[in-house]
Amino acid sequence: MITEIGNILLCVSAALSLCLFSFIFLKKVINIDNCFHFSKNISLIILISLLSSFLLLSYAFLTDNFSLRYVATNSNLTLENIYKFSAVWGAHEGSILLWVLVLAFWCFSIALFSKHIPKKIIVDMLAIMGILILFFLLFILLTSNPFDRIFPIPLNGNDLNPLLQDPGLIIHPPMLYFGYVGTSVPFAFAVAILINENIKSEWLSWLRKWVMASWMFLTIGISLGSWWAYHELGWGGWWFWDPVENASFMPWLAITALLHSIIVSEKRGIFISWTILLSILTFSLSLLGTFLVRSGILVSVHAFANDPERGLYILVFLTIVIGLSLLLYFVKSSKLITYSNYNISSKEFILLINNLFLTVTTFAILLGTLYPLISSTLDLGKISVGAPYFNFIFSALTLPIVFLMSPAIFSAWKKTNYNHLIKKLGLFFMFSLIITYFFLHFYVDVENFIVFLAIVIAIFTILSSLYKLSQTRILSANLISHIGIGVLIIGITISNYYSSQHEVIMKKGANIAIQEFQIAFNDVKNKVSKNYTSKVGIFDLYDNKDYLISFFPEKRIYNVQKNIMTEAAIHSTLTRDIYVALGEKVNDNSWVVRIYYKPFIQFLWLGAILMILGGFFGIFGNLNLFKKN
Amino acid sequence: MNFRLPTLSIVLFLGIIYFLYTGLDKDPTLIPSPLIGKTVPDFKSTDLISGEDITNKELLGKFYILNVWASWCYGCSLEHNHLMNIYKNNEIDIFGLNYKDEKNSAINWLKERGNPYKNVIVDVNGNIAIDYGVYGAPETFIINEDGVIIYKHVGPIDQSFYNKIILPLMKK
Repeated sequence: MITEIGNILLCVSAALSLCLFSFIFLKKVINIDNCFHFSKNISLIILISLLSSFLLLSYAFLTDNFSLRYVATNSNLTLENIYKFSAVWGAHEGSILLWVLVLAFWCFSIALFSKHIPKKIIVDMLAIMGILILFFLLFILLTSNPFDRIFPIPLNGNDLNPLLQDPGLIIHPPMLYFGYVGTSVPFAFAVAILINENIKSEWLSWLRKWVMASWMFLTIGISLGSWWAYHELGWGGWWFWDPVENASFMPWLAITALLHSIIVSEKRGIFISWTILLSILTFSLSLLGTFLVRSGILVSVHAFANDPERGLYILVFLTIVIGLSLLLYFVKSSKLITYSNYNISSKEFILLINNLFLTVTTFAILLGTLYPLISSTLDLGKISVGAPYFNFIFSALTLPIVFLMSPAIFSAWKKTNYNHLIKKLGLFFMFSLIITYFFLHFYVDVENFIVFLAIVIAIFTILSSLYKLSQTRILSANLISHIGIGVLIIGITISNYYSSQHEVIMKKGANIAIQEFQIAFNDVKNKVSKNYTSKVGIFDLYDNKDYLISFFPEKRIYNVQKNIMTEAAIHSTLTRDIYVALGEKVNDNSWVVRIYYKPFIQFLWLGAILMILGGFFGIFGNLNLFKKN
Repeated sequence: MNFRLPTLSIVLFLGIIYFLYTGLDKDPTLIPSPLIGKTVPDFKSTDLISGEDITNKELLGKFYILNVWASWCYGCSLEHNHLMNIYKNNEIDIFGLNYKDEKNSAINWLKERGNPYKNVIVDVNGNIAIDYGVYGAPETFIINEDGVIIYKHVGPIDQSFYNKIILPLMKK
């Protein structure tokens, strides 16, 4: 029954999304109010129908219905209920279903919160969303149907990939998808604007909230993924420049650029054509990300589905959708009225540089990610580009952007008095130099120019943003996120340059010193759980001989797939993490143990939280402190 | 600006699509070896167990497997049983290249798990491995009577390796 109902729901949604698309033509013959009314209701029905199919699939998982191939390959009787639910999006078919569900959610939201926008723009946007939904539903129905049957019905399932059996991984994909798919809103907007050849600044301020929402979800998704990698993979790292990580990072950079260019277009009526192009590019990058993840054409730790047929479908889709919209842009962009006079000493000029750097960074990362493909196609040999390239590009291109944050905050639109600005910011910069100097001396001995520069710029940004905050007394999106970026950079820099690590063979009863701490390896015990057995290491942490805490890193072997998973044990304070991971067993008495000392890594998560908070204020309005009433 | 930007983006877009398309039917995990079809590089080292000198001259004229391994390498422990099975069949010699390893732990490793190797070439610094274009342990080369590398496998080998790869190559 589930197979039939599920397929019917998907087909009905597909038919309705085609209806939704047809209003792009029907609006010429039907009254626009009616068009809007119909479109809105249709998008609601699509949302309900897709949500039902999603819930149906969840029900199949929770009731261990192994007659569905997808459930049989990704669940197991012994799996905990929460993971049975998250297994719904644990593999290809279900996660594409989640993709399209989120798309339907954004589609209906556009219809719901569209008071200030002309109805013909909204109808066009919904039509574009409709065609996107249709494409993804056809993709599901033709190549990756989660409701397909399996025969004979297995008695038990093949279990969820153990890597995904982690609390962080329950919410990471949905958050990421909300962000990824959210880029379809500016895309639909851009196409609608090009079709109608008209744009107004209040529409842009409406669009900004959507972009902000998508940016916030992407930030949440990426930070959760990073946090998970740090806790789960047992390598002590949180970012690996893996193709799939880059696939989420490129849209993030593009949407960050978009967020800034929208502000300029909104306030000054310039860069409009660029904002439109950037909206299309952002969505292209998010489709490209989906393609990279789903086709398996690059080697990645996220080795999900390696299926060229599916890859081909997404590629064809990507080519059609993006190709057509670029063509539309090619034809129509000159018809949008745009003013292009601006002064070098103005906020818009700084934001232009910001956009330039962010775009170049995005393309540099794109080039690095696709390089293995390019070089093997051109017969240059099989070369992949590693972390040194990305780290270099990233720090060289990002630090100038961050440095420009403070002047951007304090400068004015149209024309800024530079003398005044330099005096004020010069003072902050001097302060930052002094703070950084003492800070680096107090915590670390090594003096490294890049580290010094990065910390100075980070502290400069934090100080000037805090000052602006104390002046305006408004917790605004930009100030909070900029402080977040500053905090993040401190975290990245210090933890990258001053971590220490030991990868050693330890005998039971042995001690090892790292920084001012000692770690004693007591024993390894067996633990049996519902769907895995594990070796649990017992370690004690001492701070100069004073006992602090015991550590229990685990090495799990999952019963069904026999995968080995590392669960690192971490003791965190604000300024440092001590991280212990259990490696291989050498003999009965000794084990390979990985111990990391990571200073300031908590600043990473703190910075991310501030950025997310900034996004939140950006969507729901800035919080005015000391409001009088 | 108004005409250049759209054109540039369309050209860039088509270029990317082309590379993505060509990537679709390639296996990204396949690592080609530039040394296939070439004679093995010269080396001079010692045997792990006996401590005697060993060079590539001693290996000439045989059809053999060269397996890069180390006691610290997890993948090597996974493939070790399969190597032992090949050794027990007694149809082809296996030589080991002990890659960036400590002598004692390497010897203990072989004592615990059995020694499938006719000789183990010591490569403490990984210099020989560089000449062979080794990415990491484990890696397995198949070399013919003329001392020419005819096959290379990256990562642990499995049960099918002997039947599906080695035997057909031996019969040629």
